Amino acid sequence: MSLKLYPRRESVRKDGLPHFFCPGCGCGQVLNFFLRACDELGMKTEDMTCIGGVGCAARIPIYLSTDALHGIHGRTMPWATGIKMTRPDMPVVVFAGDGDALSIGGNHFIHAARRNVDVTVIVVNNLNFAMTGGQVAPTTPLTATTMTTPYGSSEPPFDLCKMAETSGATYVSRWTTAHGIQAIRAIKTAMQHTGFSVVEIISQCPTHYGRYALGSGSPEKSVEWIKEQSIPRTRAEKMDPEETALNFVIGEFVNTQRPVFWGSTIYDGAEE
Amino acid sequence: MKPLKIRFCGFGGQGIILSAITLGTALVTKKGYYAVQTQSYGSEARGGQCQAELIVADEEIKSPSSDEKDILVAMSQSALDRYIGDLKKGGILIIDSALVTEIPDVDAEIIQVPATETAVALGNRIAANMVLLGFVQQATGIISKDDLLSAVEDLVKPQFMDLNTRAIEAGIELAADVSLEVTV
Amino acid sequence: MASDGSNPQGRVLSGVHFMLGNYATAEGALAGGCDFFAGYPITPANEISERMSHRLPEVGGTFIQGEDELFSIYAVTGASLAGAKAMTATASAGFNHFQEGIGYAVAVEAPCVIVDVQRCRGENFATQADVMQMRWGTDGDYEIIVLAPSSIQELFDYTARAFNLAEEYRTPVIVMSETTISLMRERLDVPSADEIAVVNRRYTDLSPGEYKPFAAPEYGVPDFAPLGKGYNTIYSINPHDEEGSIDWDPDVYERMYDRLTGKIAKHRDVICQPRSYAVDDADIVLIAYGSEVRPALDAVEMAREDGIAAGLLKLDAVWPVPEEQIAAAMSKAKAVIAVEMNIGKYANEIERISAGRVPVHRCTKNRGIIHSPEEIYRSIKEVWK
Ligand SMILES: Cc1ncc(C[n+]2csc(CCOP(=O)(O)OP(=O)(O)O)c2C)c(N)n1
Repeated sequence: MSLKLYPRRESVRKDGLPHFFCPGCGCGQVLNFFLRACDELGMKTEDMTCIGGVGCAARIPIYLSTDALHGIHGRTMPWATGIKMTRPDMPVVVFAGDGDALSIGGNHFIHAARRNVDVTVIVVNNLNFAMTGGQVAPTTPLTATTMTTPYGSSEPPFDLCKMAETSGATYVSRWTTAHGIQAIRAIKTAMQHTGFSVVEIISQCPTHYGRYALGSGSPEKSVEWIKEQSIPRTRAEKMDPEETALNFVIGEFVNTQRPVFWGSTIYDGAEE
Repeated sequence: MKPLKIRFCGFGGQGIILSAITLGTALVTKKGYYAVQTQSYGSEARGGQCQAELIVADEEIKSPSSDEKDILVAMSQSALDRYIGDLKKGGILIIDSALVTEIPDVDAEIIQVPATETAVALGNRIAANMVLLGFVQQATGIISKDDLLSAVEDLVKPQFMDLNTRAIEAGIELAADVSLEVTV
Repeated sequence: MASDGSNPQGRVLSGVHFMLGNYATAEGALAGGCDFFAGYPITPANEISERMSHRLPEVGGTFIQGEDELFSIYAVTGASLAGAKAMTATASAGFNHFQEGIGYAVAVEAPCVIVDVQRCRGENFATQADVMQMRWGTDGDYEIIVLAPSSIQELFDYTARAFNLAEEYRTPVIVMSETTISLMRERLDVPSADEIAVVNRRYTDLSPGEYKPFAAPEYGVPDFAPLGKGYNTIYSINPHDEEGSIDWDPDVYERMYDRLTGKIAKHRDVICQPRSYAVDDADIVLIAYGSEVRPALDAVEMAREDGIAAGLLKLDAVWPVPEEQIAAAMSKAKAVIAVEMNIGKYANEIERISAGRVPVHRCTKNRGIIHSPEEIYRSIKEVWK
C-alpha cells in the first residue's frame, strides 16, 4: 500500500506553516493521521469545529482549515459540549494533550464521557507536559525521570483508556505513532461513531521525554521504544496484569452504543 | 399612602413563608398593589425559627426592610418573643392561641385565634396558616375572599385546594365579629 | 424572543406577577432570547438554574447542570460561538471559577450573560463585595459591562438588556445580583413580547474569502461567521490579528487591545443610563447601585422633608464607570456620599472622578444586611453638619 503525502494539503491553513512542532514530534503525525482519516471518509475539516486546549497537541487545530477554539488549558470538553448542544449537525473534534485531557481537564473528561456527548476526542499522549518544558504528567510512567521528577516519578500513571471506559465512553481505542494505519482506522471509526469516542495515541516527545526519561533526543529511538513497549490487547489479556503494567496495551477497548446527551431538552436515545 | 407592613412568624414547616407569599400574590396579581416579601435566610434561619415579611403599598416600595410592623402574626411562642419588639405601638398582634400561651404586655390590639385547633378539627393541623389567612382577610378587608382563594389556587397543588379552602372559610368565620382598622 | 427572532409560546410571560428575584432573572433571560443555560448548584442562585431547567426545554432551549463552574462558563462560551444566546449564574464562590472563562470570552468576543448573586463568603447574607472582582477578576486588559439591578423588575429588565448589550458589543455582560433581591419577591410587570427589543446575532454578508473574523467597522465590533461553514475562524485567547492568526506582533497586540477595550469604553454614554433623583439643586448627592438604591431613595426623601437638599444618582451600569454622568451629578454638590454594602470599594472610583473637587464621604455597611433608610439618613445629617 502506498501512502500519499498530505492527501488533503488544502485542509492545512495557508498561513499556518511553518508549524511550531519540534523536529520528530508526534503531533505532526497525528495531524496527518487525522487528515487521512477525513480524506478516506470524505469529510471536510471546513465543515467541522476542531478544539484544542493549550499545549503542543492542542495546536493541531490551528494548522487546519477549520473553525477552531484554542488557548485555554483543560476546558475542551465544556466547549465541545456547549457547541454540540447548539449545533448538533456539525462534527466536533477535540485534540488534547494528556495533561490537558487528564490533569487540569480530568474532571471535565470523565463527565463528558459519562454524559456520552457526541464528540470525538483525540488525546496525544506524549507522557509528559511538553509545551512547558517536560514536566511530569498524570500519564508519566512510574519511576520515569522528568524535569520535575529528577529522582524518578513516584506517582503511578492513569490508564486513559480504562478511565474513559469506566466513565462511560462508547468508543475507546489506543494506538501509537508507530501504528499509523491502525491509528487512522481508529480515528475513522471514532468519527463515524455516535457518542463519546476517544482515540489515545501514544506519541514521542524527543525534545523532552526522549531526552530526560529515555536518555536520547532522537525521534527514531523514542518511536522504537514506544513500539517495543506496545502489546496488542488480545495478547495482554492473556498475560498477568503485573507483567504488562509498564506496557502500552494497544487496540480497541470499547465500541458500543447508548443514548447520547442532548442537554435536558431532548434526552432521548431515539433523537438521532 | 403609607405602606402596610405585616410579619408572619413561627417555626419551619408551618407555612409561614407561604402565608406571606399567598397574601402578596393576591394583593399584587389580583388587586394591582405593589408588594415586597422577604424572609430570614442563611444561619439566621437556624434553630427552626422562621419569619416572613410583607410590605404592601399603592406605589413602588423603596426600602425592602422596615423596623416597625403594623401587624404581627405569631404561630409560636419563641418567635413571638423574638419579634414582638418590632411591632409598632398600637399595632395588631394576631396569635395562634394553642401555640402562644404567654401573652406579652404590649401596647397593641391582641387577638387570639384558635387556628391550630380549627385546622386539626378540619383534619390537618398543617392548614393552620390558612385559617389565619382567612381570619386576616375577613378582619382587615385588605383583600376579598375570592381573590385570596384564587391566589391560593395559583400557588398550591390542586390536591390541597379543598383543605385550604375549608381552612380559609373557617378562618373567615372566626373573624365574623372582628373588624380591624387597616388601609393600604 | 428567541435568538432566531421567533417567539415560541410561553417564552415571555406577559402580565403582572408577584415573583421571586431569581425567577425574574431567569424570565428576563428568556425574554432577552436566552436559549442555552449551564449552571452548577450554589445558594442563593439555585432558583435561577431550577427555573431554567424547567423553562428552557419548554421553549426549545438547552439546560445543562455541569460538573463545576468551569464547565458552566466554557459551555456557555462554546454555545455562544456556535450561535446560542447563552447564560450562566452563580454566587460569589462560583464566580471565582468563572474568571478564567470570562477572560476567554472577552478575548474571542463571545457574547454571553453571567449572573453573580453576591453572598458573604459561604453565608447567604447580602453584600456588594464582588463589585471590583466583576471588573478586574480575570487576567489581561479588558473592559466589561456590569449591570446592577435594584429590584425584581430590574432583575428582569436588566437581564433581558444584558443579552442585547452582549450582542451589540460582542462581550460578556455581568448581571450583578445580590442576596437581597434574589431571594425577595416583588411585583413584576412583564410586557408583551413585541414590546421587548431583542438584538440578534450579527452575521457577516461576506464570503469566506473576503471575511476577516476580527476586523471591525469604526465602532469596534466585528461581525460573526457561523461555525462549520468554511470561514475557518480561530477563536484563540492568544493574541490574534484581524485574520485570527495567532502569531505574536506587538503592533497587532496593541491594536487588538485598543479595539477590545475601546469598543466598550467609547460607548460608555450609551451603555450607562444612570438616573438622577432630585440631583439638580442638591447640596448632598448620594451615589448608589443595586439594592442600596432603595433605602438611599427613602433617605433622600427624609432629608428633603427636614429641609436638607439631598439627591441621588442611581447607577444602572457600574462598569464601565459612567464618568461623565457622575462628574455632572457632583458638579454643583457640596458633598457626595457613596452608599455601598461592603467595606467601601466603588467609592474609590467616585473619588477618582471627583479628583478632590468635591469631598466624597462613605456610607458603607458590611454586616450581611442592606442599609435601613434611617442609617443612610444619619450619614446625610453627619455630612450636613
Ligand atoms: C491555566 C493554565 N495553567 C498552566 C498552563 C501552562 N501549560 C501550558 S501547556 C501545559 C501542559 C502541556 O501538557 P499536555 O497537555 O500534555 O500537552 P503537550 O504539550 O504535552 O502536548 C501547561 C501546564 C496554562 N497555559 N494555563
